[in-house]
Amino acid sequence: MLILTRKIDEEIKIGPDVTIKILAVSEGQVKLGFSAPSDVEIFRGEIYENIKQVTIEASQSGKHKKAADLSKLKLNKIRKINNE
Amino acid sequence: MKIRTNQFGEIEYTAEHIIYFANGIFGFEQQKKYLFIKIDGELFYWLNSIDSPEIAFPLIGIRVIDDKYHEEKDCEPFGIVTMNQDILKTTVNLKAPVYINQTTRTGFQKILDSEKYPIKYSLFKE
Repeated sequence: MLILTRKIDEEIKIGPDVTIKILAVSEGQVKLGFSAPSDVEIFRGEIYENIKQVTIEASQSGKHKKAADLSKLKLNKIRKINNE
Repeated sequence: MKIRTNQFGEIEYTAEHIIYFANGIFGFEQQKKYLFIKIDGELFYWLNSIDSPEIAFPLIGIRVIDDKYHEEKDCEPFGIVTMNQDILKTTVNLKAPVYINQTTRTGFQKILDSEKYPIKYSLFKE
């Protein structure tokens, strides 16, 4: 692992297109700014692990498929679709 | 070509049915080729791996529950569904949607790093 020490407002470059800037440091937290091309995925490390777990669960959940009448259930919509 | 799936038994397909995920699905990075299966009149779609036919993800078209969901050019957003013995406990992953372009027959998964989208969103209510 490469270890670098940086001050606030200093940057780190990963390749020519990805820049990480140290924005603020306080009480055990670091605030970072990222700039990268849109096809570079940036996300918190623990999110990937959570998603992986749920996806593995989902891949095995087909066994619970039922010929149930889903029409009796209401979909839990996030926003009301217009004209409904 | 044929694969034997857990959900639908043996399925015949041709090259033009394949949807290619260059980066795979999170946790399943090695599986790149999928069949997108739609059963008439059913709410759920299926993404069945060709490389490992025992792997199948139930999907739902996210626009059915959210008409303002994050869009990607020329793609339809789908959520991976975790089915449950108790149907009311069925959840959908809105944090890591799967985008499919039916014209280019390609797909990719994205992480929407926002509090707004839960990994386990309850799909049904009574």
